[in-house]
Amino acid sequence: MHFILYAFINTLFVILVSPLFVSLIKKVKAFTQGRQGPPIFQTYFMLNKLLSKERVYSVNSSLIMKMTPYINITCMLVASLFVPLLYVPEPVAGIGNVILFLYLMVCAKFFMALAGLDAGSTFGGMGSSREMTVSAVVEPVVIIVFAALGLLMNTSNLHEIFSSSIKSSLVFNPAAILISLSLFIILIVETSRIPVDNPETHLELTMIHEAMILEYSGSDLALMELSHSIKQTLLMAVLINVLMPFGLALEPGITSILLSSVLFILKAVILSVIIGIFEASFAKYRLFRLPSLFMLAFFFSFSTILFELLR
Amino acid sequence: MFLTQLLFLSLSIFPLAALIAILFAAKGSRTFRQSIYWLLFSVNLLVLLISINTAFFNIDLDFQLYRLAGSLQISFHIDRLAAFFMGIIAFVSSTVCVYSVRYTEHHGSARSKNFTTAMTALFIMSMYLVVAADNSFTFLFFWELMSLTSFFLVLSDRSKTETGKSALFYFIMTQMSTTFLMLGFLALYTVSGSMQFIQVDSLSGLFKAGVFLSLFVGFSIKAGVIPFHKWLPYAHSASPSNISALMSGVMIKVAIYGLTRFLLFVFSPDLWWGVTILVFGLVSALLGVIYALKEHDIKKLLAYHSIENIGIILMGLGLYIIFLKYDFSTLANLSLIGALFHTLNHALFKSLLFLSSGSVVDVIGTRNIEEMGGLIKRMPYTGILFLFGSVSIAALPPFNGFVSELMIFQAFLHSFVIDNPFMKVLLFIGLSLFALTSALAAACFVKAFGVIFLAMPRSNAARESHDVSWIMIVGPSMLAAACILLGIFSYQIFNWLGFAFPLPDLMVIGLSLLFIVVLVWLFVKLVANKHSRTSETWGCGIISQNSSMEYTASGFSEPILTIFRPVYRTRKTVNRNFHDNFGSIFKDGIAEIHTFKLFEERIYLPVARFVQKISDYVSNKHDVDLDTYILYSFTAIVVLILITGWLIK
Repeated sequence: MHFILYAFINTLFVILVSPLFVSLIKKVKAFTQGRQGPPIFQTYFMLNKLLSKERVYSVNSSLIMKMTPYINITCMLVASLFVPLLYVPEPVAGIGNVILFLYLMVCAKFFMALAGLDAGSTFGGMGSSREMTVSAVVEPVVIIVFAALGLLMNTSNLHEIFSSSIKSSLVFNPAAILISLSLFIILIVETSRIPVDNPETHLELTMIHEAMILEYSGSDLALMELSHSIKQTLLMAVLINVLMPFGLALEPGITSILLSSVLFILKAVILSVIIGIFEASFAKYRLFRLPSLFMLAFFFSFSTILFELLR
Repeated sequence: MFLTQLLFLSLSIFPLAALIAILFAAKGSRTFRQSIYWLLFSVNLLVLLISINTAFFNIDLDFQLYRLAGSLQISFHIDRLAAFFMGIIAFVSSTVCVYSVRYTEHHGSARSKNFTTAMTALFIMSMYLVVAADNSFTFLFFWELMSLTSFFLVLSDRSKTETGKSALFYFIMTQMSTTFLMLGFLALYTVSGSMQFIQVDSLSGLFKAGVFLSLFVGFSIKAGVIPFHKWLPYAHSASPSNISALMSGVMIKVAIYGLTRFLLFVFSPDLWWGVTILVFGLVSALLGVIYALKEHDIKKLLAYHSIENIGIILMGLGLYIIFLKYDFSTLANLSLIGALFHTLNHALFKSLLFLSSGSVVDVIGTRNIEEMGGLIKRMPYTGILFLFGSVSIAALPPFNGFVSELMIFQAFLHSFVIDNPFMKVLLFIGLSLFALTSALAAACFVKAFGVIFLAMPRSNAARESHDVSWIMIVGPSMLAAACILLGIFSYQIFNWLGFAFPLPDLMVIGLSLLFIVVLVWLFVKLVANKHSRTSETWGCGIISQNSSMEYTASGFSEPILTIFRPVYRTRKTVNRNFHDNFGSIFKDGIAEIHTFKLFEERIYLPVARFVQKISDYVSNKHDVDLDTYILYSFTAIVVLILITGWLIK
């Protein structure tokens, strides 16, 4: 019963706040480029508008294209149960398992890549191919980062990782700083941002994520965009909960939830500003230079493990 | 005992069915063969029930068939492990039998169809009996029968030129495997004095290592562990798809059974065995999937994925030994059960993939995936079945492939409990390579499913294709249902069987997925615009899109191939001639791409050439006929017997 309440609050919160950070990052990037940028609630307006638009399907597309938005958002919402944003509940039925969390995201990605191929468009195929390549090459980094986290906290359950990080903040732990660097790189990669992907353009040379969802329209596109923003929020939340967990409550309660939601938004705003500035100060990498970036992240996280193991 | 008699009575139906099929070869009509397959199907289901019963209640069945001489006897002993593998064989074989009812009718003359039917029956029976064997003599006897029948099955499509070569390759490899096994068994016999699979503790030192390596190589060849894997892609591309499903789904698991049996019940393994098995597993898994990504022949692609999955199973076995040696019995059990569960899961989804791709190959008439495309609209049921298989093999929740990979991941993640820092580092490197393997497998199946079933058809055959008959849907559907059920109820099943692992309850996850998807669907239904229309795909203004514009399989895997270029050792040579001296007006040129077949050119061919040299030398020395060769063999046997008698005395 407690868990259902948690699931309700957490899911609702993640859906409500996720679009905010997408447009905030755009705003920050615009400022650094000397532009005014879109309003901060632009993503909400866009989702609302998309819901009222009709859907256009390609003549070549099949049921995969129609299924994928639903599969995508469902996987992301279930994955959101694994990352407590407001308070950490008692673990139920193994929810919080790191591997399951990662594979729910892989599941969404798998179907998105299939949908990219479905319309028979060259753009879509290109996007799927690149997305699967990038995600395959970054996967060892992801797993090692979470293994290092697990090693630090002696558990492989995200909920337990977070509740122990609340008790003893990791800000001053050198291992945690290395992990956070890798987590930041993963965040950039998984949310398709510069230098890996460019979320702003529709040029075939640069796009990965946008290419896959190019054929989507109407409510389908709204679901895809929303699930992408939820993914971003979840990964940001992992980083926040590891590095700056203060405010994350251990018990549900009206005041603590209100406090932690304000604090979470505040922390996520700061992180979004950092991401925006990071994005603005880099150029997009060539696709085949990306493995070296991932090797860097791998190096950070593996040295964390060596550091912890040989201590 | 009633169960034992029932089991062996039903197993005796297999040779009978084979005999009938061969005897009535000439006049064998279609209904005749079909009824044999239905018979085999029901017998397999019966065996399935018996083995589930045996495994669930943990009872042992014993049966002695025939005593040849002394300890050379054919006898069987079925315990929980054997019953588990018999269950795998029974379930996969029964679905393959249903599928074959129709599939076999598409190939060859009546005579060859009957022969295939007979061989299939014998093949299935020999696999059961290898697993049920109580001693090494029985084991080897049926192991050889299994190899021979599968050799004939690989050979069954003789219209293709490469079939002969593939079958020969397979035959030689499988005989090498038997040789190594025989060596190991004989060495064990000299120590224990018994052919039975009993605990042997008196081994030590170099001898123990030798016995282990010999058996490991023997089983690895049959299981397709890299570098002994080369026969798999050849044999699978040559053989009919129902046979591939049996060979890849079940036969290579028999080798895993042998290895598990020896590691669990015969030896007390050393730590370095675990490390060896783990490293072989990692190499097989990673290279298997990397080679699969390059493959455009759907059956070779699936064969390379078998190598990958065998690698994952070996990882589990290796981890089991390592954790056992460091006294972490819970983690050891987790890895062992993970490996065994992955064995079951791989049997299910790989047979599913082979059967559904067999339907596709049957309809399109080629194994090249570049000539397929758009099939999900033309073959919807087969397409959905292939999707189920792909999702399972890509280890996506809540399917079964995910659960077993999760168990092995969990074992890896907990490796920090081990004290030895070097072992920890090794295991964490293993973890990252395993993650890479798993992600590449997902990429590979996006490619396979996307190129075969999505977008526009790339050839006329694909354009005019239509779905196969319902019988060829039913067989794989049973496998697909098993894939999803074993995934969702994995937690409950393990609890019933008495293994309480701290795994996530996928039933809860499945229910939440279902609940949320319904909510989202209702929300969209109520709030969003209901209009939808179909239109052209955006092609930068080009009006009529055609299939040459879509992404190909080669295009899809190109980035990955570029990143892993050192593994493939692809050599590109481009020679261009120009009309002018500045190299700007192109006249003509030659471009070549050579893939370096590392294992063939560095391991297989040197060995083959060496053997060839010896036999050339010997055959130069004499020029005789068959009778003389028989005399040679006879003399050799007499001399051997004399020497053995002298040695034992």
